[in-house]
Amino acid sequence: MLPNLFGSTNIPVLQEVLQFSQARHAVLVGNLANVNTPGYRTRDLSVENFQARLKEAIEASHRSGGTSQSPGVLTTDPQDPLREVRSTMTTLLYHDDTNIDLEKQVAEITKNQYMHNLALTVMTNQIQLLESAISERV
Amino acid sequence: MMMTAFDISASALVAQRVRMDTISSNLANMSSMQRDANGEMKPYDARYVIFQTDDRISTPYGATGVKVAAVQTENVEPLYRWQPNHPYAIKEGPKKGYVAYPKVNMNAEFVDALVATRAYEANVGAMEITKSMSQQTLRILG
Amino acid sequence: MTAITSLPNLSATPLTGGVRPQASAEAQKPFKDFMLEALNEVNTMQQDADKAVQQLVTGGDVNAAEVLTTLQKADMSFKLMMQIRNKLVQAYQEVNNIRI
Repeated sequence: MLPNLFGSTNIPVLQEVLQFSQARHAVLVGNLANVNTPGYRTRDLSVENFQARLKEAIEASHRSGGTSQSPGVLTTDPQDPLREVRSTMTTLLYHDDTNIDLEKQVAEITKNQYMHNLALTVMTNQIQLLESAISERV
Repeated sequence: MMMTAFDISASALVAQRVRMDTISSNLANMSSMQRDANGEMKPYDARYVIFQTDDRISTPYGATGVKVAAVQTENVEPLYRWQPNHPYAIKEGPKKGYVAYPKVNMNAEFVDALVATRAYEANVGAMEITKSMSQQTLRILG
Repeated sequence: MTAITSLPNLSATPLTGGVRPQASAEAQKPFKDFMLEALNEVNTMQQDADKAVQQLVTGGDVNAAEVLTTLQKADMSFKLMMQIRNKLVQAYQEVNNIRI
């Protein structure tokens, strides 16, 4: 009963978004650190890929009647859509050399930070809502 | 939606930096020669950038970013100085004994550098405002 | 003299008193429906807010400010419903504690 307490909310989805944005932050900051390295190609984690896989995972969980796996559990089923979402956090995207602009990296870091803070605020709000429902105190 | 504003400001920062690069290059090479296609030495040509709107970074409501369309060289008459013993002096013709130097207008380049600096600062300010706006949006949820 | 002539008006009220309990019984049923309707509305608002958040997170064409406002509205209506429910439970317990 307890893992499915969060299954019908957005909290697992938002957790995935948080993890992805933190992984992407590490990759982008690595780009900044290597701005003077010769022969370095900028790396990134693809946001469109992540969002597409997340959409598929959400739709799959709707089809299976809302019994989504808790993200802390390791998924062994190869068809599990959440596994696809996890793989987008580890496959690096290499840009060609014409894009090594410091300003562009900083802009990407700022956008990523915004996405992270948005997911965090919404998740905090959802958890507070659950808490208010459980404790019967507004 | 707010994300495109970051990209637009970033494209402007990149464009202004390229402009600053060409201005620095012009100022640094005020007295230099370069080898042209025939292997002969000719004076350095001052370069300038051409900006253009970048349709790859745009919103449906018509906001677009900026890109550097081309870096072009100026075709002005070089400055001639009478130096008959210079290794690069012109050997024959009406300008025999003269050496051609690049004609870079230092004052115009400095003014351009100031304009580029102000534009860079303005775009950094715009980016900060966008960042602050997105952070304020999160306060809706308290 | 005007005080005595107003007496017939006073005696009219006990006659209609017998009709009143029936009227209040009819008025009670719509209240229950009203409560259920309101609960459904709050539920729909929460589901809409959930869908909006999912659209925002998967890169949909929604504005972040709109999604946050929708979330806040759903929260407000949920908290209002929570307070109403608390009041009803409190009233029920008070009625239960009435010593006959």
